[in-house]
Amino acid sequence: MQSALDTIGRGVGRLYAAAFDLLEWPMLALQRLTGAQRIAWIFLLPNLVIFGTFTFLPIILNFFYATSGSDAILLQDRPYVGLDNFATLLACENYLQPNSCERDIFWRAVHNTAWFVVLQVGFMILFSLVTALILNRDIPFRGFFRSVFFYPVLLSPVVVALIWKWVLQRFGVLNAALEGAGMPTVNWLVDADWAFFWIVFVSIWAHMGFYTLILLAGLQSIPSDVYEAAEMDGASKWRVFSRITMPLLMPTMAVVIVLSLIRAVQAFDEIFVLTGGGPGSATLLILQFIYETGFAYQPRLYGLAAAASMLMAVVLLVLTLVQLRATRSRAEG
Amino acid sequence: MAVVELDNVVKDYGATRAVHGVSLTIENGEFCVFVGPSGCGKSTLLRMIAGLEEITDGEMRLDGQRVNEQRASERGLAMVFQTYALYPHMTVRQNLAFGLENIKTPKDEIVRRVDAAARMLQIETYLERRPKQLSGGQRQRVAIGRAVVREPRVFLFDEPLSNLDAELRVAMRGEISALHRRLGNTMIYVTHDQVEAMTMADKIVVLRAGRIEQVGAPLELYNRPVNQFVAGFIGSPRMNFVEGTVDSIDDEGVDLRDRTGTAYRAAVDGGGVERGDAVVLGIRPDHLDVGGSVGHEVTVNAIEQLGGDSYLYCERPDGTRLTAHIAGQTAIRRGDVARAVFRPEYSHLFVKDTGVALPRLTIGEAV
Repeated sequence: MQSALDTIGRGVGRLYAAAFDLLEWPMLALQRLTGAQRIAWIFLLPNLVIFGTFTFLPIILNFFYATSGSDAILLQDRPYVGLDNFATLLACENYLQPNSCERDIFWRAVHNTAWFVVLQVGFMILFSLVTALILNRDIPFRGFFRSVFFYPVLLSPVVVALIWKWVLQRFGVLNAALEGAGMPTVNWLVDADWAFFWIVFVSIWAHMGFYTLILLAGLQSIPSDVYEAAEMDGASKWRVFSRITMPLLMPTMAVVIVLSLIRAVQAFDEIFVLTGGGPGSATLLILQFIYETGFAYQPRLYGLAAAASMLMAVVLLVLTLVQLRATRSRAEG
Repeated sequence: MAVVELDNVVKDYGATRAVHGVSLTIENGEFCVFVGPSGCGKSTLLRMIAGLEEITDGEMRLDGQRVNEQRASERGLAMVFQTYALYPHMTVRQNLAFGLENIKTPKDEIVRRVDAAARMLQIETYLERRPKQLSGGQRQRVAIGRAVVREPRVFLFDEPLSNLDAELRVAMRGEISALHRRLGNTMIYVTHDQVEAMTMADKIVVLRAGRIEQVGAPLELYNRPVNQFVAGFIGSPRMNFVEGTVDSIDDEGVDLRDRTGTAYRAAVDGGGVERGDAVVLGIRPDHLDVGGSVGHEVTVNAIEQLGGDSYLYCERPDGTRLTAHIAGQTAIRRGDVARAVFRPEYSHLFVKDTGVALPRLTIGEAV
């Protein structure tokens, strides 16, 4: 086995060397042509073109769409309206009551997203922490459980949603099981409260493996001798957890909190496939609102969608800055 | 204040036996050093005493009381770790206080003990700092302080100086010895460094492969090693060994010849050997007199001149390597052929197959 791997490794190494031998003279020729300084730009060019076309340009365009009106797609056909789109989105008598807002559906999505973020992130971190603490102990089949908890992370969001749809639909697995046990069935995805519960649940199920893994790595980076010192110092299990484990896990926890916050704000795909935002707008989140306003419904309100996405970008920017700070203090700590 | 007794203590890791039935008594107030090469089980033994490792078989007693089943914290011992194992997120003061808070010591008592320990170890000025803001030596003091404040029955040290630089190691060695004199507690100290063992111990326990080779006072081990392993392990540089066969035995010693037919004599009790037995002659570099006009011929391969001491690395014509220590400086040069005198009263003799030492009759180094 080892020798087979060695052979493969050596083969790959030789191929790699051969490829670079082939590249040598064109590269040298190119370098003579451009000079050693400018050749760096040639290497950067492909990435710059891709990044510019698909990331940077859309950001700029988004700004123009957000400040122009009508349902025309070409920029020259769109009249400049200043901050009207933002004003429309933000026009509200009471932000806590979506019905009092001009774009009540936007504010409903904001409310839903806020609740979703609080519940999904809060419970997911709690579950991830508990799971990581258990998986960090010397339990039987530890390797097996570690992979089991990580598998959902590898699934495509659409697959996740379809699996759970199969479980939760009116004649799905869950209701069949309930019926078999003689219990009343529930139309899980049609009842507004249950549907919201399930989008939070499914989203936790799909993502917690990732955060469990990060927290597990954080737990394992705590040196074991510190625990032994605490044992000699007569610390109770609770004192060890509250005074040693948690403080030393905090830098990792900060990263986990911010990362999961960002991802929760951006949640879309699983929920869109699972509930489509329904029933009504009970599980409609901001990203779906932006998508539907801009691309799904007539008339296509590109300006409004662009403005909403810029508002969301501000929130994400703040969270990202917080994350950068958290990771930096972790690197320094 | 405590007597530590180990009675046929065994440690198994799965099918591997790390400690084979060790029996040992460490007296009240004694400074006992476990020494041996890496993997000899010395740290395992210490961790079993601490309560960090379970005792597979046998009994451990503290002041006559069986403690096998007691948790580490219940035994009333304190340990200083090789890696210091300070709590990185706590200040020095919090590090020292943590153990006392765990047993709900009154606040003013904690302050009193922490301040007293800090004064004794001269770490008062760092009390509000975090471990990462301290140097290695300062961290080691904090680790010792954390043990001191708990006023333990026994102090356990697990290679506490091996992460320090040479100069600091010498200084801390002195400080730990001073601490022992001052507190008078029983202390158990693990090291692979025989110099630490020789300089600090009341009693040295030499371990190899999970077994005790010899227990004794430092000079006893140096002067009367019971076997070739202890003879080679204690003393620096290492003892020289010359293989040979017994030629004749009389009341004052044993004569032997090496492969080349060269004769040696050791002042040992030859009761355990017969003419023709394979033996190993041992002599420490300090006792090999090189540079005179008599003795056995050696070629000098290398010389280390330290100013106050010189070390000669020599070779006998049959390839046997010898190290000699000369006090002061030497005019001998690399490549010179010199003469080395093996004095019988400084020589040790071991049975080749078992490594067992024959009892020495006269001991040249005894004062």
